[in-house]
Amino acid sequence: MTKTIASFIAVLALAAGLSAQHQKDAAPNLTGTWNMGLQGQHVIPVALTLDQKGRKVTGVILMPTQRAGETKDVTLTGELVDAALTLSGTVEGAAEPTTIEITGTLNDDGSMEGRLKGPHGEVPWTAERLKERKK
Amino acid sequence: MTPPLSRRAVLKGLGVTVALPWLDAMMPAGRALAAAVPRQKLRLVCVEMVHGAAGSSSIGIRKHLWAPADTGCDYDLGPTSLKSLEPFRDHLTIVSNTDVDPAEPFTASEIGGDHWRSSAVFLTQAHPKQTQAGDVEAGISLDQLYAQRFGRDTPIPSMQLCIENVDQAGGCGYGYSCVYTDSISWASPTRPLPMIRNPRVVFDELFGVFGTGASPAERRERREEDRSILDRLRESVSRLQKTLGAADRARLGDYLDNVREIERRIQIVEAFNLGGEQRELPDAPAGVPDSFSAHVRLMFDLQVLAFASDITRVFALKLGRDNSNRTYPESGFGGGFHNASHHGGQEDRIADFATINTYHVAMLPYFLEKLRQIPDGDGTLLDHTVVLYGSPMGDSNLHNHKRVPFFIAGRAGGRLGGGQHLKAPNGTPLANVMLSVLHALGLEDLERFGDSTAPFNL
Repeated sequence: MTKTIASFIAVLALAAGLSAQHQKDAAPNLTGTWNMGLQGQHVIPVALTLDQKGRKVTGVILMPTQRAGETKDVTLTGELVDAALTLSGTVEGAAEPTTIEITGTLNDDGSMEGRLKGPHGEVPWTAERLKERKK
Repeated sequence: MTPPLSRRAVLKGLGVTVALPWLDAMMPAGRALAAAVPRQKLRLVCVEMVHGAAGSSSIGIRKHLWAPADTGCDYDLGPTSLKSLEPFRDHLTIVSNTDVDPAEPFTASEIGGDHWRSSAVFLTQAHPKQTQAGDVEAGISLDQLYAQRFGRDTPIPSMQLCIENVDQAGGCGYGYSCVYTDSISWASPTRPLPMIRNPRVVFDELFGVFGTGASPAERRERREEDRSILDRLRESVSRLQKTLGAADRARLGDYLDNVREIERRIQIVEAFNLGGEQRELPDAPAGVPDSFSAHVRLMFDLQVLAFASDITRVFALKLGRDNSNRTYPESGFGGGFHNASHHGGQEDRIADFATINTYHVAMLPYFLEKLRQIPDGDGTLLDHTVVLYGSPMGDSNLHNHKRVPFFIAGRAGGRLGGGQHLKAPNGTPLANVMLSVLHALGLEDLERFGDSTAPFNL
């Protein structure tokens, strides 16, 4: 009986190990909603929604405007190559042609960090996946 | 034998009704105090300090700017923003390291909306529905759960007060209705209660001045005819005093002096504000002092009077607005509140924000001391009061809702231990603590509150 239980545990451990290895080897997919913090004079929380198909990444960033409490959707396109993310988009309806450029890397813990270049300069950012919660 | 005076007895004059403080004459003759006094109903005050604390930032935690370094009874308040509460240490329960998860964003569109969502979460511990229309929804707030259970036998079940403007209409930001930032009290998940900023309105409501039917203009006109509402009570006071012993006469005299003193302070503020001088708060009603501390103290004094006369047992008080950039020169730091709260993680700026936090907390001892000075049944008002003080925001620089500042002052008639600092395990909802507070207040049958997972051992 003891031998049977030991074998069962060994199989479970092997399966868990294989699963972890598989996850490590699997290509990362950024699809989902990210809670991004723009590190300006203070941290501004910004929603970043991404959709990844292969290397190609598309998405939307809800950029805060000059008016408190208002955001503007900016559509982004780009790619993820070897955990390095590049995205760019144009702010529609802006008085002058305005682009947003994002570069970043995917960290081992699943978070991301990088830099965002916009009309008011360049700021560092970090991002975590939005935690799923029951309403 | 003379029957005891009813606890509900009042002094009445033309258009004025003033409830009485606790008097010996209310005790049945020949009975010991402990036996004669029914178990005192507890008073509840919930104070929201908006937008977190310096002590919730990484540096602030390390430097113990909010929670003391040690847990248990032997803690040092010296480095913390709570140092002014040292004289009330025995009545103090600090609970640190709790989170307010319902204030976090649940969807992409909610990310960034923390300022416009948080206040609605403080006392409900429920996630507000993102809407700018009339279909607002959060949860029943803690103060209202208590008021709905125990507030029915007082003339006013509960009152909601605030220090900054709350008259914004429609949408405030990130798709949230302004009611989420305007109120911390919710009578039901869909009914936020309006908050009163003007001490004059609070005073008139507490003392039934001129009746409920009078228009503001009529009230103003009648007010100008008298120096004091007490002028209308002379006969009633005189009649009652003839039936009272010396101690009760002195107690009644002190109480009416307090009523008059508060009324006089409101009149002085109104006279100044209507006198044509330039105001710091030009849009505020005439009864609102420009000074933050003067305003808060007036509001606290009104609460003490209301408790002393048992007009109501429940108050909610909102000290500010997340987005306010009000300055507090009396704190020793002259910068604006919102700018200070966004300290960028810099140590010197965190210290500035801590100075404001310390100043805000330092409003409490004035209130607690007043409560301690007033007899109430077999103890004092402080013995029978619970004050909750905290914020639904943690690190305001990050706009997170983790490790939020929170403490309880008062021992709920002995149901709370007091004199301790309790550090919760990581990830503990503040709602757990609030659930236990509700149990201590007498709602023992309540199984859940907000996102609580279990009661917290207070």
